[in-house]
Amino acid sequence: MERPLRCVLLALNSPGYRSLALGYLRAYAKQDPALAGRAAFETLDLDTDMDTWWAAWRVLGLEPDVLGISVTCWNARSVYEICRIVYAVRPECAIVLGGPEVGPIAADVLEAHPEVSVVVRGEGEVTFAALLAELARGGKAWRVDGIALRKGDEIVTTPDRALVANLDDLPSPYLTGVLQPVDGGSYLETYRGCPHRCAYCFEGKGYGRIRSFSDARVVAEIDAVASAPGVRSFSFIDPVFNLTDARLRKMAEWMSPHTARGVRLHTIEVDIERIDAEAASLLRTAGVASVETGPQTVGAAALAACDRPFDAVRFSEGVRALRAVGISCECDLIVGLPGDSAYDFLAGLRFCFDLDPGKVQSSTLHVLPGTGLWERSVEYGLEFDREPPHEIIATPDVGFRDLRRAEVLASSLQAVYRARV
Amino acid sequence: MIRFASVDIGSGGSVSCARCSSEQQEPSYRPVDDILADARQVCDTWGVGTGPNIVLAGAEPFAHPDLPRIVLGVVEAGCVRLAVDTDAVGLRSAANATGALVAGLRHVRFTLLAGTEGVHDALGGAPGSFDATRVGIRSFRAAADAQGLDVSVTALVPVCRHNANDLPASVATAVECGADRVELRVTDGGMELTAAAPWITAACDTGVVNGVWVEVEGVPFCLLPGYDLHLADAVRSRDGSKQPACGECALDPVCGGASAGASTDQLATLSPPVFAEKLAPQVARARATEVR
Repeated sequence: MERPLRCVLLALNSPGYRSLALGYLRAYAKQDPALAGRAAFETLDLDTDMDTWWAAWRVLGLEPDVLGISVTCWNARSVYEICRIVYAVRPECAIVLGGPEVGPIAADVLEAHPEVSVVVRGEGEVTFAALLAELARGGKAWRVDGIALRKGDEIVTTPDRALVANLDDLPSPYLTGVLQPVDGGSYLETYRGCPHRCAYCFEGKGYGRIRSFSDARVVAEIDAVASAPGVRSFSFIDPVFNLTDARLRKMAEWMSPHTARGVRLHTIEVDIERIDAEAASLLRTAGVASVETGPQTVGAAALAACDRPFDAVRFSEGVRALRAVGISCECDLIVGLPGDSAYDFLAGLRFCFDLDPGKVQSSTLHVLPGTGLWERSVEYGLEFDREPPHEIIATPDVGFRDLRRAEVLASSLQAVYRARV
Repeated sequence: MIRFASVDIGSGGSVSCARCSSEQQEPSYRPVDDILADARQVCDTWGVGTGPNIVLAGAEPFAHPDLPRIVLGVVEAGCVRLAVDTDAVGLRSAANATGALVAGLRHVRFTLLAGTEGVHDALGGAPGSFDATRVGIRSFRAAADAQGLDVSVTALVPVCRHNANDLPASVATAVECGADRVELRVTDGGMELTAAAPWITAACDTGVVNGVWVEVEGVPFCLLPGYDLHLADAVRSRDGSKQPACGECALDPVCGGASAGASTDQLATLSPPVFAEKLAPQVARARATEVR
């Protein structure tokens, strides 16, 4: 009997976290009848700060036929290094990349990285399993929809794959035992897509509309993770936790038994302008200890360029409502958005500090593949690093030196803000 | 942007340039009850903005016999961020540093007269003070790390004609000590600001490349073209000395002017309209965004 295809799934995560994306890929592939007995899986959840040579050592020790890697802007440089090493040692291994960093620019990635065999575009579970099935039977990978690959000397992009119509068709990584919950480092996903279309963000791009997992599935996952031994906190990867009032009420109801046992949710993302006293109370019932939100900027020109609404009054009321029920709020700002001067950014910092939300965090703009800013970068005159993580270098509104100054000034002010009795 | 209200615990004895003023005032301290009354007043009337935040200033706090009682009282009054202006010598002892942190001290502002031992000690008239200060700041940082506490350390550099050319080294020393930020305060009204400007800008750049913010106080916009962000909080939030030449400048509405006592002759030699033209867009944005 022919031996199964050896598949190694690799993620370079923030320390302490496990890749939910790889969990989905593996859970789906394991239940795919076309792969039954024909593929064996090993997942390497490593940290972003791991030396790439040691990561390659770990991969090569498993002698993979297929190496699948989840790529984000944060780990891309390391991923490409690992790919080069693995390819040099084991050229017969098919290297398959997927994720937001590579999917939107799949052909460019193949052009720039000859060691990469295939790039999965968009939602990966079904596509990756179909690709493995083709490879397992020695078939033609170019028959698989939703990928870009090499065909001889050519780079070929196959037709788009339709989104999964019913998300419940994707087995739960937690309920199937593929992913073990860990305290503080586990995420759940209750829907895909985002109601917003912020031009700097990839969230929701390509998904078109919001698709939800069923209530029963969400409840089962919450119960599994919240009841796992040693788990005292976890989070949701949903772009907007309070997507609708009705959904927030359900989440509060589903979480409340676990909240009563002391389980907490950390750093969930909310639409803060929709949070009033009642919503804040529901979040507390849901065990929410901390939330993460904008405003990203308070500059009118940048808000317009980013297709982002902002109501300072409602935002402030949302922060106050959360603080009133003891929920810590992290206000995020981005420096380097088109239309923002350094002074606009400082005005944003002042706005956030004056709200006293609990935490203020600023980051430098990353012009990410597939986002509105990536597509309109020439129109906006954005100079950014073409290599990941695609950090902004200069804009027409703020030059290179003032961008770096703004970063340092913000960091200094955040240190002052954090240092409290 | 995050303001601190100053509460004097006494007067005299602060680290300053002995060559600028040879008068050495002996420190004297106010009664604890008076200090705490002032602190309570600050907390009760804080108003908008994150806080209340208080800096204990005026005299060396670690020489005050009742410092623990003062810190405790200020914290009990509702102070959110408590800072001290200090020479940091009292923080050399790990027990002192830890005790101060446990009591609630989170911000230390220490004075650095220069970036080298010889110049700092000579200007301060206190041999050994440079090393003592550095050891004290490192001890505070180490104690905070051990306690897992967020703290902030600021180096205050009084700028005068005797240390202007040492400003980049001063910032480098502040960085090496573990400062998050540096404040350059022009205190010498007779200093040639135009001559000092290159040292000031070099000091700002030294901070930025090391990830430490340098704020400049007492220098008008027109002397630091391209460095206006470094003046953002200091110049604009404090009254400086406006000279007749300032009236011609488009930056006047958002510029605090020079340090008090700056020479009129110096400012008269500037060419505000030239710089004003270059910086006009920034002025417009500064006004529009109400950074002031």
